[in-house]
Amino acid sequence: MKKVLPFIKTVKLGDVLIIFMLMGLIIFIINKSWNTPIGQYLKIEKNNEPPKIISLNQIKEEEIAGLLGDSNISIVDGKARFSKAPCTKKYCIHQGWINKVNQTIVCLPNQITISITDGSESYDSVNY
Amino acid sequence: MIFRNLIFFLIIFLCGCGQKDRVYQYKDYIFGTIIDIKIYGETENKSKQITNLIFDDFQRLHNYLHPWEKSLISDMNHAISTGKSFIIDDAEIIRVLKENTELSQKTDNFFNPAMGKLIALWGFHEDNIKQSIPSSSVIKDFVSNMPLMEDLTITNNTVSSKNKKFQLDLGGYAKGYALDRAKIILQNNNIKNALVNIGGNIIAIGMRGDRNWIVGIQHPRKPSAIASINLLPGWSIGTSGDYQRYFMMNEKRYSHLINPISGFPSANSQSTTILIPPSKNSGVLSDVYSKPLFIAPTEIKIEIAKKLNIKYFMIIQNDEKILISNEMNKVITWIDLKDEKGITVY
Repeated sequence: MKKVLPFIKTVKLGDVLIIFMLMGLIIFIINKSWNTPIGQYLKIEKNNEPPKIISLNQIKEEEIAGLLGDSNISIVDGKARFSKAPCTKKYCIHQGWINKVNQTIVCLPNQITISITDGSESYDSVNY
Repeated sequence: MIFRNLIFFLIIFLCGCGQKDRVYQYKDYIFGTIIDIKIYGETENKSKQITNLIFDDFQRLHNYLHPWEKSLISDMNHAISTGKSFIIDDAEIIRVLKENTELSQKTDNFFNPAMGKLIALWGFHEDNIKQSIPSSSVIKDFVSNMPLMEDLTITNNTVSSKNKKFQLDLGGYAKGYALDRAKIILQNNNIKNALVNIGGNIIAIGMRGDRNWIVGIQHPRKPSAIASINLLPGWSIGTSGDYQRYFMMNEKRYSHLINPISGFPSANSQSTTILIPPSKNSGVLSDVYSKPLFIAPTEIKIEIAKKLNIKYFMIIQNDEKILISNEMNKVITWIDLKDEKGITVY
């Protein structure tokens, strides 16, 4: 305590202001990086198969054959979820909707993974 | 003091973010097509300055090579059509002519830049395509005396042709040549990471930071990509397709990719995509070598790929079946395959 007290006495009003400003900046940055942009594509990956990428801007029920049977993936207006799965625990369905870049749901028993990707991230240029 | 040091540290730390990691992108419209240049890891000033050098060089090429607007080549074509010889006082253009002769012969003339007149007959020598089919007798007549690159005689800087129908059209070569030019300009100016797209033909220089440049391949019948590919440093990709310059008549598609044997647009494929490994003229090869693979009859396509040593190719046939080489199949990532009728791997 003895050592800390003179130290605190050297703190000036400007220092306090700067501390608060920095705290505000940190909160702002954290807030911003958590609000990752909403994705445009759904990537569906099956074991040992190249991924399938489909648009999120549609209403669609996608049926994917997995290890145990067919899983259904619902796509509605920019978000996606598992709506039917042959696994016993149904964890994948309980995960609910995903719509942000890099959000992922893995259905381990049926070996299907769905994740959201940003269109611009999937390629840099188009060959035509 | 501790706080001040801390603030200093934070400011320096925060300044480190951003800037260099950015990709600067520039577009221009030359050769009747869109040019898209991306540069990674350079300052905005330098990126812009070097991109302008490239655009200026492309404008120079345009003024040299354009097949129907006023250019050096169209002047040459005019001289040849009147039976005169023509002097080209430019070592670069002489080299270009010689390379075209060489490539045309290598592809058994399936790549035939000497038949500009036939392309014009089909109405593809206009910015707005004419949409008419020439009479079959006219085509037959033309094909019976098909002008070839070997009809062009080059002695020092004088060119002439015994075939007056000879008209050079470098439409299947110029974009690839421009890619190789862009590569040289980027390298001379010490730019290590860039992606250059000229009307769909792409060359990768270096990488995008810690990953490769990724390129989508256009689906020939949908407004989206059918697949994507990691374009490794120095590699080029080229596609010939019937969906960029074409017209429809009586529900039949007529594209600008004309078979020199029949004189009619080739209709056995929708698109052919090839990957060319790093080499001095990989841009040219990615542009030129996709043509014979598109135009040749289906039965001999694989043979042609072998002969030209094209290891990475994908052919989307008119029946929507896909022929793909084993090497290409290993590096491609499918994006949208549900409507395709099947893939055969060679």
